[in-house]
Amino acid sequence: MKVQEIRELIKLVDQSSIAELVFESGNSKVKLKKSVSGTYAESAAQPAAVQETAVKPAAPVQAAPAKKEEAQPAAQEAPAVQETPATDENLHKITSPMVGTFYQSPSPDADPYVKAGSSVSEDTVVCIVEAMKLFNEIEAEVQGEIVEVLVKDGQLVEYGQPLFLVKPQ
Amino acid sequence: MQSSVRQQLLSAFSKADGGFVSGQALAEILGCSRTAIWKHIEALRQEGFELEAVRKKGYRIVSKPDKVTENEILIGLETNWLGKEIVSLDTTDSTQKEAHRLAQEPFKEGTVVIAEEQTAGRGRMARQWHSPKHTGIWMSVILKPELPPYKAPQFTLLTAVSVVEAIREVTGLQPEIKWPNDILLNGKKLTGILTELQADADRIHSVIIGIGINVNQLKFPEELKEIATSLAIEKGEKISRSHIIQEILKRLEHYYHLYIEEGFSDIKRRWERYALSIGKRISARTVTGVLHGKALGITEEGVLKLLDDEGVIHNIYSADIEVEKKAD
Repeated sequence: MKVQEIRELIKLVDQSSIAELVFESGNSKVKLKKSVSGTYAESAAQPAAVQETAVKPAAPVQAAPAKKEEAQPAAQEAPAVQETPATDENLHKITSPMVGTFYQSPSPDADPYVKAGSSVSEDTVVCIVEAMKLFNEIEAEVQGEIVEVLVKDGQLVEYGQPLFLVKPQ
Repeated sequence: MQSSVRQQLLSAFSKADGGFVSGQALAEILGCSRTAIWKHIEALRQEGFELEAVRKKGYRIVSKPDKVTENEILIGLETNWLGKEIVSLDTTDSTQKEAHRLAQEPFKEGTVVIAEEQTAGRGRMARQWHSPKHTGIWMSVILKPELPPYKAPQFTLLTAVSVVEAIREVTGLQPEIKWPNDILLNGKKLTGILTELQADADRIHSVIIGIGINVNQLKFPEELKEIATSLAIEKGEKISRSHIIQEILKRLEHYYHLYIEEGFSDIKRRWERYALSIGKRISARTVTGVLHGKALGITEEGVLKLLDDEGVIHNIYSADIEVEKKAD
């Protein structure tokens, strides 16, 4: 099995309500178990080509760039992938399309674009993600109500990282 | 937008490169009568073009007006598609806003919005940009690259390289880039670039690059005197804005294709050649704090690498950089 395939599996399990999955292909066997309280890996007790992997709820699967070096200024919080609270699968996640800094408002003094409780439609701007002075206005792409803002103003976010939970209407 | 007859006329003069084009040749190229040609020539004169007409030789452009209208930019523009569609305005709130309005509708990639004056020019984070009439280049370029959104930030560095090289070409001055895309001369700000992206999760709808260049200002308001400069101040003479614009568009188009086809590495090398802060001690101000250390360079994605005093390397995606005055 390729790493990419395992990633795909993790992603599928992650986005599903399944808690545990055993997958066999050729002489490989992967057992994925979703742990509620963080990361956990369980390798299958099979002799051939056992592959270990970890599943982190709601973690973006894409590899973030330059992980060996500490990302972003020390004064900032580490770009730790936020763990979303017990995800209601009916909630829509607005994710970041790129690595960059999350801004909740158009300028430091302005009100946030949205807060928990704000109603949004598909083209409502919910935040800006900026990298190297390229400003990306993120739209909700779904109609509904913001349930939770998952990141803080000024925080570095990863590619694919969930930024908001939206209850679709 | 102007008629295609006008564009063909300017293109014919452009090819002649200051030489004569006969009335007969123009009539054939444009497919209209020589009387109609004469009317178009008169219209150009009305706009400030100086045209010489010599019997049996034809017409020749002696000088272009110092404006940044469509005509000015099209004559001598050596691009295939970028800047072939120009929206030129005498005054506007901001070319960036105007470009956003255009990008709401189906638009032609490479459309350039340019204004003689901006009444509400803006920079990053809604900061104002001083943009008085007829003195600078205030323009926005609308692109639509076939790239995933996470590959868009490199456009800011790519644009800075294009602008620096255009200025070097036209003026011989050697401006420097402050990460990621501010352009300075003798430590004072010459150019600001603001890039905005509209995208779905996996597809770019538009990249709008706003470029503000101080060209012919001879003085600045008190509060900007110490931090801003213009090409005319540094060079000691007036500079042709349309020439600078043409050189920028030419390079922007070139590096655009280079980036999409071959990636960022050649552009990165060029960027590093013009960068002012590499190897120096800098401070990086972010919304959440200030970091001090030595600028090591940029990654293959253009992310700034800073080595702090504890020996930790930080990858910086967002910050305002200052080169620290004290010795390293």
